Parts: sequence; structure tokens; C-alpha cells
Amino acid sequence: MEILKLNNISKYFGAIVALDKVNLSLNQGEVLGLMGDNGAGKSTLIKIIAGNFKQTEGQITFENEKVEFSKPMDARNKGIEVVYQDLALCDNLTAASNIFLTREIKKRIGPLSIINFNKMFERAGHIFNELKSETLPRELVKMMSGGQRQAIALARTKLTKAKMILLDEPTAAISVRQVAEVLDLIRHMKNEGMSIIIVSHRMPDIFAVSDRIAVLRRGRLVANKNIKNSSPEEVTALITGAIEEA
Amino acid sequence: MQKEKPKISVSNIHELGLLVACIIVLCVFGFSTDYFFSQRNFMSILRSASYVGLVAFPMTFVLISREIDISVGPSVAWSGVLFAGLIKWYGISYPLAAVIVLLWGILLGYFVGIARTKLLIPTFITTLALWSALRGFSLWITDGMPVLISDKTFRYVFGGDLLGLPTVTWIMFATFILFWFVSSFTVLGTNIYAVGGNPKAARSIGINVDSIKIITLAGTSFFSAIVGILYVARVSSGNSTVGEGMEFDVIAAVVVGGTALGGAVGRMTGTLLGVLFIAMIGNGLIHWGIDPDLNKVVRGIIIFLAVVINSNLSLKKHAGPKED
Repeated sequence: MEILKLNNISKYFGAIVALDKVNLSLNQGEVLGLMGDNGAGKSTLIKIIAGNFKQTEGQITFENEKVEFSKPMDARNKGIEVVYQDLALCDNLTAASNIFLTREIKKRIGPLSIINFNKMFERAGHIFNELKSETLPRELVKMMSGGQRQAIALARTKLTKAKMILLDEPTAAISVRQVAEVLDLIRHMKNEGMSIIIVSHRMPDIFAVSDRIAVLRRGRLVANKNIKNSSPEEVTALITGAIEEA
Repeated sequence: MQKEKPKISVSNIHELGLLVACIIVLCVFGFSTDYFFSQRNFMSILRSASYVGLVAFPMTFVLISREIDISVGPSVAWSGVLFAGLIKWYGISYPLAAVIVLLWGILLGYFVGIARTKLLIPTFITTLALWSALRGFSLWITDGMPVLISDKTFRYVFGGDLLGLPTVTWIMFATFILFWFVSSFTVLGTNIYAVGGNPKAARSIGINVDSIKIITLAGTSFFSAIVGILYVARVSSGNSTVGEGMEFDVIAAVVVGGTALGGAVGRMTGTLLGVLFIAMIGNGLIHWGIDPDLNKVVRGIIIFLAVVINSNLSLKKHAGPKED
């Protein structure tokens, strides 16, 4: 079943064509790797799906329903969550506080409504256990590794009951061991039936977790195929333009 | 479940260190002078600490959210002059005058916040302008003379003592508890820390960063107005010259208390200790008979050293990604 369908999506910035009639879909529980050189239109596409930009032309269908997003909140309300490269975490807060930011669990003491930190630590602990991550709920984020930060960002999407996640460069700028940790997190989310689009420059990571691969070049979709029928060499050639289309 | 090692955080170390420093200062002045340990003197220390503390707690929030308000001294003076002036020149009742002055305080902070968030003018600049303008206006409108009012009840209730402590100290403690509660247990407190930690992230998550900044800035100016009124209660007049250098004492107390000037980090307990520390030093140096002008020099040096220690302990480790 298709959860997301992009139909002839185009985006112009003045005279610049950032995206040119892109047709792409994502199935329920599928991991799609989205690749392309800098300026190929990956970020623009992600931002359109996430509601940051509005497409100039074309139609987005989410869960068989035509949708129009004018701001990120619209997409989020439908169940589309973005995990950005810089992860949007607050270093000075604990892991749990970050996960629950703007969705704090509260309790009432008389007329006062206060944050129930114990409950938040407990639930954050459960989520990290589910994710098989060793991240500690009470620890400050500034003490944490890139992998743990990624776990917090993903934990946040679990809390919102996201139906689809967009991951922007989830394995950039972290150590080899942490990359393995993050890839495990992604596999775990996939096994739970999450639909995921990953944008990445790192070919091995895309091939490690994706079911399907899509390549953008100069705003055009030049490949969209099962990962088993492709190879890193072919994808490199598609990215650079050595192969026109596949 | 995961195991967690108990550990002492940087802010705990800082506050413990400050507590030790306070005790040392207390002992040094106590044993080297005759009257430092007297009850009268403690009342005096508490009283001066209380006026500073009332503004220092909201200032802690302002600094955490990466802003600053340097207009508090003149704002205190102007609030007092306005309060006394409304009563004396316009015959307005005390409660109504107080309400007007407090509303004025909120409005002024709101203005600074709007300038910051909508016009993108740094709070340092706006409050520097206010620092000059409010003092100047207060002096001009009063010709530098006190605006005398004489209501014994008002003076007795708000300028006197209650259950063995200055009334203003009780008000300061209540304010401390309020700010400690907000910073530790409420969504507003968490949001203020989030805005200071990573404004971009806070915005993208859906926190209204602009409102948070406006609220914190309205806080300092509201409490400056309160202090203005309390000063009037103390001396039965509105004075255009009160609160001179108060912004220095307030910000110094907050920073000595462990709040980072770069934002994100700070706690109300640290600020409370910082306020007491600064007040004790100011008072003790007088007991040592140090010239008031040199007193300022010594305090400057001590505060500088405290901040150096603070920034080495916390700034480098705490500083989050910079934005805004």
C-alpha cells in the first residue's frame, strides 16, 4: 500500500528549476534512499513533503488523500516527521526533556500544573529500550554522542505516533561505530512498520538499510528502482550523469 | 531498565563552591570586624540583597534566554519617581498608582521584547537607550529633587520589618520560590531553557521563541517597577538617583551565581547565593573602612574573578549551537 505519492512535483525559485516533474511514491513500511549531488533537489523535495515549501506544480497524496501543506505543522499533524541533520536538540536539557519538549507529561498539584519528570524519564527509558539504544533519559544531551542524539530525535517521532519519517543525513559527521548504531535504529523502525525516506551522501549506508533507491539529478528523477537491481557503481554514475537514466 | 550513575553536575559544583565562598566571606568579615556579625548588620545585608534579588531572579531568565537587560537601575528610579509623582502631583491613590507603575513596567519590557523579536534590535542596545533615557527623564522631571510622600502605613508595611526580617526580604524569598518553581517544574521554565539552549531547535519544535523572550524581558522590567515602589516605601520619596549601578550588581550576582552570559545555563539557587555573596562583600568592605570608591574597585575585581571561574567551569562545556 502506498503511504505517500508525489505526482509531477515541480518547484521553481524564480527562473531556477529546483524540481522538474518528479513522480515518486513510498510504500507502507518501506525504506527509500534518496540520493543526489549537492543542488540536485533532495532538500527541496524533503522540504516540500515536510511542509516547509509549497510546490509550484503537482500533487501530494498521503494515505490516499490529497494534501496541501502550507506549514510544517500541517505535515506533522498528518503524521509526517522530519529528523534534520542538526537534529534540533537542546544541549542544555536532558534526553527526556528533549523528547517531550512541547509535549511534556504533566500532573496537577492543587491548582498548579507541573511537569511530571519521573513519568517522562520512565517513558523515555521505555522508548530507548524499544529502540535498543543505551541512551540515558536523565543525561544532558551535550554529553552525548552523535548516535545517541539520533536516538533522541527518533524517539521523538515515536512519541508523536508518526506514520512516516524523513531522515536528513542521519549518518553524516558521526563515527563508524555510531553509524552502525544509527543504521540499527533505522532497521528497527522499519521492522515496526515505519515508512522512511533517507537522504544521504553515504552510499554504503543507503545500501545497508534501503529497500529502494531514488536518484535526483538537476531536479529530475533519474532512477527509482529496487536496491537489489542496482549497485553503488550505477548510482554513482547516475548521480554524476555518466548514465543518463536507469 | 538502564542503570544510572549518580553524579554531581557542573551547576551543583558551582553552587557548592559558591556556598563555601559565602561561608568564607562571612567568616573573614565576621572575625576581622566588630559589628559584621550583629543582628542589625545582617538585617542591613538582607535588605540590600533583597532589592537586588528581586530583579536578579527575572534577570536569570533573561540571561538564560540569551538576552540582557541593563536598564534596571534607571527603571527602578523612574518607577519610584512615577509612583511618588502620581500620588503627590495628581492625587492618585496608592493602590491605583502602584497598579499604573506595575503596568508601565510590563509595557516597557514588552516594548524591549517587541524591539528584539520584531525589529531585531539587540536587547543590549534597546536597554542601553532606556538606561540613559529613563535616568535622564527622571532627573529632568524632578529637577533631581526627591518627590516626597508621607503615608506612615505604606512606609510601615512595605518599608519596615515583619517577623524579625525586612518585609522586602520576605517578598524576595517569595519571589525566589516562585522563580525556582517556574524554572524547575513548569513548561514555561523548560521552554526558557530550550530557547537559550538552541533557539533554532526550539522554534522548529513549535515553541514560540518570540513570546518566551518577551515574557522574560517583561519580567525584569516588572520587577524593577516593584523594586521602585519598595524603595519609595523605604525612604518615603521617589528619587531620580536611586538604583545607580544596580544593573551592575544584579547582572554580577546572576553571573556569579553560575548563569552563563551566553545563555542556556543558570539556576535560581545559584542566583540567590550570588545575590547574598555580592551583598556580603559590599557590606563587609564598608566595615573594613575601605573608601567607597575603592570599594567599587574591589567588587569589580572579585566579580571578574568569580566570572572567570564560572566561565572556565561551565561556559565551554555548556555552550550550545549559536543562533539568533
